[in-house]
Amino acid sequence: MSVLDAPVSAAAPVAPTTGLTPVFVRLKLALLRNGLRQSTGRKAAFIASLVVSLLLAAGQVLGLVLLRGNEHAGTVVVLLTGVVALGWAVLPLFFPSGDDTLDPTRLVMLPLRPEPLIRALLVSSMIGIGPLFTLCLVVGSAIALAHGAAGVVFGVLAVPLTMLLCVALSRAVATANVRLLNSRKGRDLAVLSGLVIAVGIQFVNFGAQRLGQAGGLSTLDPAASVVRWLPGASAVASVDAASDGAYGAAVAQLLITVGALVALMWMWQRSLVKLMTAPDGSTLAAAEPTREKASGRGGLSALLPEGRTATVMQRSLRYVARDPKTKAAWVTALAVGAIVPLLNALQGTGSVYFACFAAGMLGMQMYNQFGQDTSAFWMVALTISSPRDAYVELRARALVLLLLTLPFTLLVCGVTAAMIGDWRSLPGALGLSFALLGSMLATGAVASALFPYSIPQEGAFKNVVPGQGGLAWISIFGGMLAAGLLSAPVIVPVIWMHVTDHHDALWLMVPGGLVYGALIGWAGLRIAAGRTANRLPEILAAVSKG
Amino acid sequence: MPDRADARTETEAATDAATGGAHEVRPAVRVQGLWKRFGEQVAVAGIDLELPAGKFIGLVGPNGAGKTTTLSMVTGLLRPDLGKIEVAGHDVWTDPVEVKSRIGVLPEGLRLFERLSGRELLAYNGRLRGLPGDEVDKRATQLLDVLDLAGSQHKLVVDYSTGMRKKIGLAAALLHNPEVLFLDEPFEGVDPVSAQTIRGVLERYTRSGATVVFSSHVMELVESLCDWVAVMAAGRIKAQGTLAEVRGDAPSLQNAFLELVGAGGRDNGDSLDWLGGTR
Repeated sequence: MSVLDAPVSAAAPVAPTTGLTPVFVRLKLALLRNGLRQSTGRKAAFIASLVVSLLLAAGQVLGLVLLRGNEHAGTVVVLLTGVVALGWAVLPLFFPSGDDTLDPTRLVMLPLRPEPLIRALLVSSMIGIGPLFTLCLVVGSAIALAHGAAGVVFGVLAVPLTMLLCVALSRAVATANVRLLNSRKGRDLAVLSGLVIAVGIQFVNFGAQRLGQAGGLSTLDPAASVVRWLPGASAVASVDAASDGAYGAAVAQLLITVGALVALMWMWQRSLVKLMTAPDGSTLAAAEPTREKASGRGGLSALLPEGRTATVMQRSLRYVARDPKTKAAWVTALAVGAIVPLLNALQGTGSVYFACFAAGMLGMQMYNQFGQDTSAFWMVALTISSPRDAYVELRARALVLLLLTLPFTLLVCGVTAAMIGDWRSLPGALGLSFALLGSMLATGAVASALFPYSIPQEGAFKNVVPGQGGLAWISIFGGMLAAGLLSAPVIVPVIWMHVTDHHDALWLMVPGGLVYGALIGWAGLRIAAGRTANRLPEILAAVSKG
Repeated sequence: MPDRADARTETEAATDAATGGAHEVRPAVRVQGLWKRFGEQVAVAGIDLELPAGKFIGLVGPNGAGKTTTLSMVTGLLRPDLGKIEVAGHDVWTDPVEVKSRIGVLPEGLRLFERLSGRELLAYNGRLRGLPGDEVDKRATQLLDVLDLAGSQHKLVVDYSTGMRKKIGLAAALLHNPEVLFLDEPFEGVDPVSAQTIRGVLERYTRSGATVVFSSHVMELVESLCDWVAVMAAGRIKAQGTLAEVRGDAPSLQNAFLELVGAGGRDNGDSLDWLGGTR
């Protein structure tokens, strides 16, 4: 009897499952190594992030060890572990490509059983910078909290349990959402993650400052008492409880983690089996009925007049709402433009002139207009046959910018002035904002024509394709410098009025800035229009690399 | 095989003599001495082309022959290093106003405005070309119907399949009723049903006297659709003329093509003698 004649059920499970875990571990290591071999840039990035992570981890372990004995040690450690566990859960949603080395959908064709596959994936997921960092943190946490023999015993149990829980949590979330992550909506979500981080940093910064002022770490105690009983942190909390002699609580907390781990593994296995045996997302999407919507010129489009201006404006506005890259850029600009002056005002360190930051941030959206079109710019290029066409096109895009930016600038200036209570400087800030906005529009339009570059459509943090980074820097920083210089005719009188105490005359800067901004913006669009009409093929080539 | 190209001139001369040398029909496209180089690589090496108006014209050649580069230059999307291009009697690079309103283009490998729905894309494109809004909407409705896209007209283009993308691109290219339509690989990756739909629309369009220039490497398709063919390989025109002229004595266009591009005597896989042997 040959191998082929043997009953399938008897032959299949034995051969591939024995030693699956070492195979996966070797695969993961090989993928890591090969990824590094591909480019020196990637190698440098890997080594840099490894060094930074190790330094951070070492710092953290040291900090945690020093925390040992502090009355707030339990609170800090529990919350820290909770945050790390949350990070493991959320990260795969924002960085779906972070660990595609072990994408289970690539293993669909192989005859693998779920249980050994899960085990192998779990172990191989422990390899990497992230797990190493987490391990350092968890070990440090255990050292900070463990007192006495019971504490050590619970510590020894808590460290591997927490590690397993973090990894299982991350893989379970990723697997359950793999359909979403591989769909367009999921990729859009990933692009928007940059936004969450940009805005999040501002709030973390603010929160840390507040924490330093108000009652210190004891304000965190109520939060910690809840987090203690949540699976991510409960194993570490059990070390604290055991060290205090509360053995019942310690065992319960440890059991919560064990239970959560078992539940997660079960969920992970279930979604993995479903993922690897059910039809894929593209089939399902094709079968989906299309949503019906009122056709024709409804809503905003009914208000806009006919002609190129309205058509271009409508398209640009739709892109602000629908295109993740454009949306992320806009929301970041709006959020950061508001947060910087307002938070500074809240802390009493600001000035009304910080509100000009909003105009500057939003003016930056004028840069690389055609790069935002991607290679679809050909559609525009085919309809531009004269500098006049190019002028109308650029003017329409500038109008969209003004439509959103002007009210926003007025609002931010007004609110900042109200918070600081410095109404006298408001006209100066407004005039300066108008001039700055006009200059940014002008330089942005010219830079769009002269230094266009491609914006990659995937990934939150890549806004320039390799090889065009220099171009983007020249465009944006050269343009901002030029915009600053171009605003000088308004900046100088504003400073002069403040220095010579002519505050009464500051209102003059409102019409002055408005007229000057409009003039400089118009001149910039004119110059850019001629360049754009002459350089259509070059612009198309430059924006088609993403 | 340069003699085949010469054959065309002779035949054309004969036809001209028969019609009394009347040259009142200007060519849809006239290309003279067109060159394009990307770094070290010469993509288009000095081609001359004269494509007659009112015909269904196929530009055929293997991958990398320079078809897309040529079509990009002819439609004004890529600047040539050297050469002169006229479309409908107007120079593409000195007279863009006349040319751009007369041509429709469906490029290959370039995106559309994918965050618009199919209908919105047509509305945008038509209005950008200066057509009145009501007329754009009317034409869009008809095109969406004929191209079998009415059911997904409100879906975003980013969610369209390849065939749907080609069809919406074709609709956008046809919307302003151009004199000459340039299509780069319009049937690439398109399912047979969509291909038949596209084909029907194009045949109806050429019957009205308009010109279609399309590139492809599927010879059967070109043979069944086109009445005029230009064969490109390695950046040069190997032959151009009516289908019969280019085919010559060969049994099919495929054979003539393989001979023209010099791929006739390639190893047919004798070295893979194990393939299909005893397992």
